Amino acid sequence: TLCFQAFLQMCNLPIRVVCRANAEYMSPSGKLPFIHVGNQVVSELGPIVQFVKAKGHSLSDGLDEVQKAEMKAYMELVNNMLLTAELYLQWCDDVTVEEITHPRYGSPYPWPLNRILSYQKQWEVKRKMKAIGWAGKTLEQVLEDVDQCCQALSQRLGTQPYFFNKQPTELDALVFGHLFTILTTQLITDELSEKVKNYSNLTAFCRRIEQQYFEGHDKDSSTIAARSAKKSLLR
Amino acid sequence: MAAPMELRCWAGDWGLPSVHPESLTVMAYAKFSGAPLTVNTISSSWKAPKGDIPVLISEDKVISQPAKILNFLRKQKYNADYELSAKQGADTLAYIALLEEKLLPALLHTFWIEAENYCNVTKPWFASRIAFPLSLYLPGKMSREALNRIVLTKGGPPLYSLTEVEAQIYRDAKECLNLLSKRLGTSQFFFGDTPTTLDAFVFGFLAPIYKVCFPRVQLQEHLKQLPNLCRFCDDILTCYFRLSVSGHSPAGQDTADANLQKLTQLVNKESNLIEKMDDNLRKSPQHPPRKLTTLKLAAGGEESSPFNRLSP
Repeated sequence: TLCFQAFLQMCNLPIRVVCRANAEYMSPSGKLPFIHVGNQVVSELGPIVQFVKAKGHSLSDGLDEVQKAEMKAYMELVNNMLLTAELYLQWCDDVTVEEITHPRYGSPYPWPLNRILSYQKQWEVKRKMKAIGWAGKTLEQVLEDVDQCCQALSQRLGTQPYFFNKQPTELDALVFGHLFTILTTQLITDELSEKVKNYSNLTAFCRRIEQQYFEGHDKDSSTIAARSAKKSLLR
Repeated sequence: MAAPMELRCWAGDWGLPSVHPESLTVMAYAKFSGAPLTVNTISSSWKAPKGDIPVLISEDKVISQPAKILNFLRKQKYNADYELSAKQGADTLAYIALLEEKLLPALLHTFWIEAENYCNVTKPWFASRIAFPLSLYLPGKMSREALNRIVLTKGGPPLYSLTEVEAQIYRDAKECLNLLSKRLGTSQFFFGDTPTTLDAFVFGFLAPIYKVCFPRVQLQEHLKQLPNLCRFCDDILTCYFRLSVSGHSPAGQDTADANLQKLTQLVNKESNLIEKMDDNLRKSPQHPPRKLTTLKLAAGGEESSPFNRLSP
């Protein structure tokens, strides 16, 4: 959720964040989050970016063709590695599933619906993991992959303020969203956030964006940011 | 340096050392980094292909996915990325993720799900390379796995039917090809003049699309409109796999050479023999064949009858 907020605030578009239990069903693609503008509803990062672009705001206009290719590649890397690792940790690591995910996911519903829905979601996620070959991975291997991904991001970022020159782009929003979530969410073990904390330029990057785009605005959005950081664990 | 390493993978055809993208990636990386691999292609013997292909067998270790195989080769000091900077290494990871997310679904679809392609080309080819009765089961299984992967990763709402998913993955694949073409530009390989891991992966994914002859070829046609990517594939095939663009496999080329040599030797021997026979015939005065000599003796007429015989 954070990547969208970050992206929209980087475009200087005002937003209001609302948390709803049936949000997944309201979304046109079943995926969170989505934006509701006038009488249009758009979900997922790709379509939202295009929607915003069509309205005249774009963050990546200053990039040349090769840089756009690079940006898309890095966005895929983040989706591939970080998103899948987050899903794995939430749904395939038994300890986390029992103690955190099941209660959280099922919390708006009465028994037995909460158990049924969360088992269903878990089964879905496990099927997907099997199809892409992550089912055989142990937690250590997943953490190693996350480490590799963070290393790549850290090397790409280097000492620059943003990934591409001095202007933030969609990639910055996406990376911020994922990393901030990892850093601030309470899990059973802190191994995932430790991996990210190993790379000081990544933590500095997150802090900088948080300060610039979230704390700069009213206090509300930072508490909403914290709450939606927790809620995004339910993604 | 290390113990000899054996790679088991799918065989090649249509001018490629292997038809399977992951096998091709590993073979290309081995060529780039100079790793000595003996390649054993899966043929219809009873050694059924278990688990993932390609498989690297070294001493007692069995390693199965391309990323892990490449890591293993790097640890054995066969490293094609030695000269890359940290940022280029990061770029490699990102572009490989792009390939897997955007290009692989369409590749899998072209090979395993598109009905005409699967029934006419893929299934018979793979079935002929696997022992009976596994050949009845395994291609179907690979096709189901490919479909599963595509539907689970790409097929959520708002795409509700398989045709919409197919349209989306082909759009993504064409966009990916365009991005790769822009990134490659006019240079020979993705990072300068020496090939690296990324070149191995890109080659592994592009070459099957480029070379394998399918009835339905929208991806191939799109690729052919990007001449720098076609040139990239052809270059690697000719330089590293010693394949002419019309395509004989290197093993085939060697045996063709050996056969050619034997043939020329035989021809030479024959021509020598013929020359000798010719000489003999010319040197000796028109000797009649043996039958006539016996006749001559039997007839009793000595010199006259052979000359009589020989005169028209």
